[in-house]
Amino acid sequence: VNFTVSNKDTVKSSDVLFLAVKPPIIPFILEEVGPDIEARHIVVSCAAGVTISSIEKKLSTFCPTPKVIRCMTNTPVIVREGATVYATGTHADVEDGKLLEQLMASVGFCTEVEEDLIDAVTGLSGSGPAYAFTALDALADGGVKMGLPRRLAVRLGAQALLGAAKMLLESEQHPGQLKDNVCSPGGATIHALHFLESGGFRSLLINAVEASCIRTRELQHLADQEKISPAAIKKTLLDKVKLESPSLSVASASKVSLFTNKS
Amino acid sequence: GKVPASSILASAPSDKNLDTWRESGCRTTHCNLEVLQESTLVFLATKPHVLPGVLQEIRPAVGPHHVIVSLAAGITLQTLQRLLPSGTKVLRLMPNLPCVVQAGAMVFARGSSAGDEEAALLKSLLSSCGLCEEVPESYINIHTGLSGSGVAYVYLFAEALAEGAVKMGMPGGLASRIAAQTLLGAAKMMLETGEHPAKLRGDVCTPGGTTIHALHQLEKGALRATVMNAVEAATNRACDMAKD
Repeated sequence: VNFTVSNKDTVKSSDVLFLAVKPPIIPFILEEVGPDIEARHIVVSCAAGVTISSIEKKLSTFCPTPKVIRCMTNTPVIVREGATVYATGTHADVEDGKLLEQLMASVGFCTEVEEDLIDAVTGLSGSGPAYAFTALDALADGGVKMGLPRRLAVRLGAQALLGAAKMLLESEQHPGQLKDNVCSPGGATIHALHFLESGGFRSLLINAVEASCIRTRELQHLADQEKISPAAIKKTLLDKVKLESPSLSVASASKVSLFTNKS
Repeated sequence: GKVPASSILASAPSDKNLDTWRESGCRTTHCNLEVLQESTLVFLATKPHVLPGVLQEIRPAVGPHHVIVSLAAGITLQTLQRLLPSGTKVLRLMPNLPCVVQAGAMVFARGSSAGDEEAALLKSLLSSCGLCEEVPESYINIHTGLSGSGVAYVYLFAEALAEGAVKMGMPGGLASRIAAQTLLGAAKMMLETGEHPAKLRGDVCTPGGTTIHALHQLEKGALRATVMNAVEAATNRACDMAKD
């Protein structure tokens, strides 16, 4: 994998461009690389809440038919168990989508969706790992309370969730049925589940997915309205970067990680 | 059902309980012993506190050919067998109210002298009133909590559904009928498809639609846990009452 601090160079030598910066920085990146975008380029944005149309609008001043794909992935791509969805823009072809799908399928599950579903995906699988980490932390606490050493408790909790998820993915059965299969009459599990139900476990999870989705939409709405002036955002971000890593040059404050077609 | 009315003899202390039987064409009497003399299969359908007295009364007339089925809540097979001649074929039955419309849920347990033949006879006869299953005696109290009392939970739910509709502008009578039909239809689908209720529930939920919004409200109210609590409470109460 080649590294560079020059966004321009990356654009020139690549066909597929992944924009992996924070949403407020997207406009600046697009301004910077816009002039070098050619018809062959596929611009893939992973920025939460940034719409295809906003990207197309920005790029159209430089290139008449920019190919844009918007995707939403999640952190477990790091261990090749990511959950990724993508939506193709106006000028992206079917093969462009399939190319992205192939790339992302190598790090987990990847499927195409309509753009209007991406916020819901954010709420579910984007934020999902955080819900799982919270659950695992608590499960481990439960184990520790009942006498297990912490490390073992964490290991067993994680394996239990991993195993359950795998069972569900590999089974035709409804999760409700799989749950029933674990609950012997009058046994330990059904007693525990009663506690979960009493605490409104299910509704908490529904609430969480809903909250994350709604917040994503809110952020997108705020961004669309451009309430904060781009110059102000730029200054704030550059100041922040200067504070955190004084040795970095201003030019590399905006990072674009790129992936070439040829590797 | 499966037996001609003229073959049925009903006994009760007062006439008021016997009118319905007579109207169906059954024979009636005030003498319990007569029932034992005339019939092989005998159902004991008294209130629990009355039963021991009745058993004392009929004991002399009970023979090895008789099949005694008790419907008295909380009276165990052990008690029944103790109060009747040893070796008597005894079974214990727990029905629920909708038996009267042939949509009942019944469970029965057999005593030590009751065999496959008796169990099969009972099951075959009662199937005309609804679902009838043999179970270990320990399930009978659970059946009370689930289905005996369960019928009341359903009435409560139906009432609430209808009230919701009334709030939204539908007349009460219509809302009530639709609520009942909804429950009937859903139950029928469960019984006929044999699919897991969670799957059937999912089938009704279109993404972002009305159903999933409503279900969220139910989950927020911890409906599931509340219902589990209800079944548990009724079952425990049945167990406690049996000990009295």
